[in-house]
Amino acid sequence: MTDAPDAGAASPARSCIYLDHSATSWPKPPEVVDAVVNAMTTCGANPGRGAYSMALAAARLVFESRRACADLLGVPDAHDLAFVSGCTEACNLMLKGLLVPGDRVVVSSMEHNAVSRPLHVLSSAGVRVEVVQADATGTVHAGDVERAVRAETTRAVICQHASNVTGAIQPIGDIADIAHENGALMLVDGAQAAGHMKVDLSALDVDAYAASGHKGLLGPQGVGVLYLRPGLDAAELLQGGTGGGSSEEESQPQGRPERYEAGTPNTPGIAGLGAGARLWLAHGEEWRAQEQRIFRELKEGLSAIRGVTVFGPASDEPCVPTLSLVSDRMDGDRIAFLLDRRYGIAVRSGLHCAPWAHRTIGTLETGAVRLGVGYGSTSDDVAAAVAALTELLA
Amino acid sequence: MTPGERRFVAYGFASVHDALAAESALTSAGIAVTAIPSPRALGELCGIALRVEPAQAGVAEAALEVAGLPPRASAEIDDI
Repeated sequence: MTDAPDAGAASPARSCIYLDHSATSWPKPPEVVDAVVNAMTTCGANPGRGAYSMALAAARLVFESRRACADLLGVPDAHDLAFVSGCTEACNLMLKGLLVPGDRVVVSSMEHNAVSRPLHVLSSAGVRVEVVQADATGTVHAGDVERAVRAETTRAVICQHASNVTGAIQPIGDIADIAHENGALMLVDGAQAAGHMKVDLSALDVDAYAASGHKGLLGPQGVGVLYLRPGLDAAELLQGGTGGGSSEEESQPQGRPERYEAGTPNTPGIAGLGAGARLWLAHGEEWRAQEQRIFRELKEGLSAIRGVTVFGPASDEPCVPTLSLVSDRMDGDRIAFLLDRRYGIAVRSGLHCAPWAHRTIGTLETGAVRLGVGYGSTSDDVAAAVAALTELLA
Repeated sequence: MTPGERRFVAYGFASVHDALAAESALTSAGIAVTAIPSPRALGELCGIALRVEPAQAGVAEAALEVAGLPPRASAEIDDI
């Protein structure tokens, strides 16, 4: 077996079949690109600092983006959404801002490093971490969470909304009920859910929810949001300038959202995220249905390849459009490399920054190949991926 | 018209987000409002304040109350 010429060596911007949407969405919708460019070219001033026309335009752009994100996520008051650098910062903020030494937390075994690594730091500081095992599809069962929560006084239950490895959607509403019935907070990493599925934070009744701006929400990289329910105050991670209010005060303003937004905001990123949120508000139902249809084609096609094991819920079970697979014919890194070089198909192998999840589904030692669809994916894309893998693994 | 010939009522808010939410609420209520640099008379020197005509101050304050955005401070100021 020989490697194909690297068609992308001369042109990193070559066209490819992009199936790494779980990592980040690509291409971005033109409306998102236009919003980013517009922010940089027509209102590049520092938002919320000056009150001249361009600074006001930038501040209004951030304001409107926040409102769009709040509308999309079912947040009644946009004050409760803070813009941060990404879901990782949002997870760090909700965990390090809410937990203190002596707290006990219950967390699922499917968490990404954006949750497990902050918890590792917190455990060194005296936070006790109880892990609840998910099943082999990556699904967390509410009954297992309930048993763990009831065993001892628990400060918080921490669970992803959807898996970045198997696409499993966790029963967050049920788990939140369990948490609250037992006096615990419900903290959610929504990195893989927002956009790909309808997220209504009012209905879910969670206490904090971290979301990525550049994955399903279609914004550029470098932006995310953190929701904190009214009245739940996390300690901010950063202190600094916030523009308005009382600059002469030594301490950080406690009002939302500025408390959590020290420093100049990522206005172009926020503008792009706002554009993505507006697109989901306008087309969400249609786009999600299409994603799910294409994803089912992918999952069923891959599941039929001899020697391939696909990880995730059954095809007729709800999930976000992400799956992982292993083959008994070839290692995952080789599969990903050849898909790229021979077929121009972009996927990711390895552990996907989620060793806990791979341990849960039994692929910690081998890793897996992950494929995800999203905005811009077509039936032809997934058919090409299935055909390529069928040929590679024959 | 030179500064000082007209007077306005300026409102200060807890945050830029609040100021812009208040601007939106006032505009929706049909009240002419202008965003201005926060004047010293409001007790702070940074951020964005809103100004309205004195004749509209009562209606504006009622609209802000309804919107859940009561100003943190208010002051009568000269034209700026």
